[in-house]
Amino acid sequence: MESMNHGIGVDIAFLLLATLAVVTGWRVFRTDSMVRASFFLLVSFIAVGVIMILLAAEYLGVAMFFMMAVEMTVMALFMVMFMMNPAGLNPMNMVHQERIAIGAGVAGFLVLGVMALLAAFPDQPVPAGLDPVRSLGNEMLGDSMLIFESAGLVLLTTMIGVVVLSSHRGRYGAAAEGSMPPGLEPGGDPAGKPEEDEEGEGGHHHHHHHH
Amino acid sequence: MFSELFLPVLMVIFMLIVGGYAVAVLDRLVASALGTSQDGGIWLAPMARGAWLLTQHANATEAPDWRAWRLAPALYLALAAGGLAVVPWSASLVATDLVTSVVLWGSVEALATVVIFLHGWSANSLLALIGGYRYVALGLSYILISMFVLIGVALPAESLQFTQVVASQAELWNVIRQPLGLPLFLIVGLGMTFWGPLNLADSTDLAGGTASEISGPPRLVWDMARAAMLVAFSGVAATAFLGGWLGPWLPGPLWMAIKMLAVLFVLLLLGRLLPRLAPERCVTLMWVVLLPLSFIDLVWAGIGALL
Amino acid sequence: MAVNWLRTLASRRSVPVFPVLGMQGDELLQQLVLSPDIELVDSPRHASVLLVAGEIPADRFEFARRVHDQLPSPFTTLWFRGEPWSHLENATRIDDLDILPTALVTAYSELMEGRRESSPRILPDKPPNPWEGEGDFGQGGEGMMGGVPYGRPMAMNMENDIRDGLTLDSLTFRLGPFFFAFPPGMSAEITLQGDLVQTWQTQLVPYPQSLDPVFFTARERPVPIAEIELARARHHLHRLYRGLHLAGLEGASLSALRLAQNLSTTSTLDGLRRYLSRSGFFRLAAIKGGELGPEQARRIGGPAARAAGLDEDLRSGDAGYRRLGFSPVCQTGGDTCARWWQVLAEIDQSLHLARQAERDDVTTSELGRIETPRGPWCAKRPEDASALFDELLPGLEWGDALATVASLDVAGLADQPVGTRPSGESRAIRGGTGNDV
Repeated sequence: MESMNHGIGVDIAFLLLATLAVVTGWRVFRTDSMVRASFFLLVSFIAVGVIMILLAAEYLGVAMFFMMAVEMTVMALFMVMFMMNPAGLNPMNMVHQERIAIGAGVAGFLVLGVMALLAAFPDQPVPAGLDPVRSLGNEMLGDSMLIFESAGLVLLTTMIGVVVLSSHRGRYGAAAEGSMPPGLEPGGDPAGKPEEDEEGEGGHHHHHHHH
Repeated sequence: MFSELFLPVLMVIFMLIVGGYAVAVLDRLVASALGTSQDGGIWLAPMARGAWLLTQHANATEAPDWRAWRLAPALYLALAAGGLAVVPWSASLVATDLVTSVVLWGSVEALATVVIFLHGWSANSLLALIGGYRYVALGLSYILISMFVLIGVALPAESLQFTQVVASQAELWNVIRQPLGLPLFLIVGLGMTFWGPLNLADSTDLAGGTASEISGPPRLVWDMARAAMLVAFSGVAATAFLGGWLGPWLPGPLWMAIKMLAVLFVLLLLGRLLPRLAPERCVTLMWVVLLPLSFIDLVWAGIGALL
Repeated sequence: MAVNWLRTLASRRSVPVFPVLGMQGDELLQQLVLSPDIELVDSPRHASVLLVAGEIPADRFEFARRVHDQLPSPFTTLWFRGEPWSHLENATRIDDLDILPTALVTAYSELMEGRRESSPRILPDKPPNPWEGEGDFGQGGEGMMGGVPYGRPMAMNMENDIRDGLTLDSLTFRLGPFFFAFPPGMSAEITLQGDLVQTWQTQLVPYPQSLDPVFFTARERPVPIAEIELARARHHLHRLYRGLHLAGLEGASLSALRLAQNLSTTSTLDGLRRYLSRSGFFRLAAIKGGELGPEQARRIGGPAARAAGLDEDLRSGDAGYRRLGFSPVCQTGGDTCARWWQVLAEIDQSLHLARQAERDDVTTSELGRIETPRGPWCAKRPEDASALFDELLPGLEWGDALATVASLDVAGLADQPVGTRPSGESRAIRGGTGNDV
């Protein structure tokens, strides 16, 4: 993209996308269905992603679509699977502690607005022959390699840990049978057995809505 | 202005219409060759079915999410159009030549999961919802495989642009250079378009799954969107593995069309020949067998790029 | 103008028919499936013609009315060997199976060209249960659970999930007597968590199925073994058609039906069996699970019991069969996969026996005790065994559960063979205008 000569089309596109992002972000909190809320959030993120493409961050914008799509789908799916009222069939009060949230939102908007209007942003036009993918790749695998690789490893460990922790099959047997390690001497108490009442029936949670 | 805005849109619309019709006709050809009795002529039957769907009413269920339900087929069609927009027909003839077109195709696959889940959930019907669930399980499984295979293809090209990927196949097509790539990608394609053995979303044991409650024009748009996604996928497969527009004697776009038809034919044939996989077995297969194979493919591509 | 042209084009397609099967209604399915002008669809939303086949018993009447209203307009209805609901004018009734395909085609083209009006809706178009709400924000009910929207309890996690991980909400629903994948007439109340069946309770048992007349004559006098074995193979091929259709193998299911239609002593199953093995039907498709224990196998009898390893077959006590060197075929395992292998093996065995018997002209010798394709028939006819589903299906995923339902032949035997009308039951359905529930 040339430095200052973006056409009127880019400006119009930016305004439309920005409006879309804000409106769908507002709809997230006003809709009465949790699945719709997560997909409105997705639309908001996609609008932001397109704005990033307009700002010559092509890879980051498209990667935004990619990541947010799967994240929001998993969120919506979990809501349908585990919540009692994801579809808004039964109208309920979708917001909690709204006064504090509204206050925090207004305060945040004021701070960010002041920053956006009064801060002096650097005036560095994007060089003409920039290849965003190449420069991103050089940054990620050059100077910032340690950060990204360790973040990736931490995420992978977390995912594996989640699956292991939620599995019924413990190291010494199924959780339903009270997976316990064998005793230190044959027939003795299991090593590390807690003193009294065990957890009992695993995970029978009812999500309580207080109305 | 014209060449930047209208020409790509016209190209994509043309590909949607012609490609969708081609899928319908080819599917009937394959079905009749394999013994399923067909009505009327092969060429007229898709038009007759489309006309029938247009004359039917779009039915209602008790309390669906109307906007999501009616929009989902159109969104799926839009995603297929987005995928078709990055398929290059020659070095200069491509609707949008994004620098990151490989990642855009990946995001089309990811967003397809959203749209298909919405289509299943918003009908407020049991069988449709189960179809949506199953598709998400399938989608999360194949998306990693798809990305590794495409990264493997991008390595020799040193670029994420499909035109560069094709240009890098000038000496040797990727189907030979990375032998694991195309079979894995075809399986991903069957999953992404939920066709044939991987049709877990609209399967017969759910009486049509996410499509079990739709009729009339929304159903027409949904079927067209599925056909368009098949065409878009064949375009990407032909670009990434079969050398795109490269080939002697014939002009580039013609070669591209031939290769797309070939991939389409293979997909439709597999769709008719193989039984539907059980979801449990499918997910196990993808994570335990196909994902390690895609790692190996990536390592192979990496070694090939280093040497 | 454009609409007329569109409708004329629409009338050129094969007729999409949704069959609502009453008593003895499924005899016609095989005929219709093979006709290229007719497409049998699995969901009423995909159909333009509702075919009500056979008499619908009174306790399934309400479900049939609901299915009638689920078809999208324009649609029409056709009755086959059953009394049309009296408040529908111009209802067409057909009794002859041979003219049924053409009658369907005629009804559809008349509908598309406007010469026949779309059927009116029977049920009122408002929600059956109003939503009830009491709270400050319009939410409903008392207590923590948020009420009963639209008359149905909210899905909550009432059962411990059999699978790993967090407990999903469970959903209880009734799947009706006209679901295509169930034996005709069966309805069940199912609790699902995700797509795993937690409980299954059969509410309405399937209709008794009618057999080929040769099985009835075989109880009274000796019949040629060739004839009875071909009838048995035909019955098994029809079941195979259902299972293959469910598994998504359309081509194979149609070739099974064609084989059944043209069945003779020269037919062979080898092509179909080879195709099924090579395509991965036995390894990849949803056919694990549904194992019969020895007690359950004894209860159901027939090929399902032999697939579980119980090698009891009344044919081994028959002198004619012994002359042909018959010995029962068995599998081990007793799950759905073993049952399909057993069906294929029994079809093969029946064809061999028929070929041999025709050559040597052998007849059955024992009367009063015959082995039907459904099970052994000594003094009492084989009875309905759909209570087995309540024991077998919990713990299976949806696809495996339906495959198990397709592989088990649980319907009891009717007292009349195919082709005769049910004796006492046809008079019981008339009753009023059909408007009262």
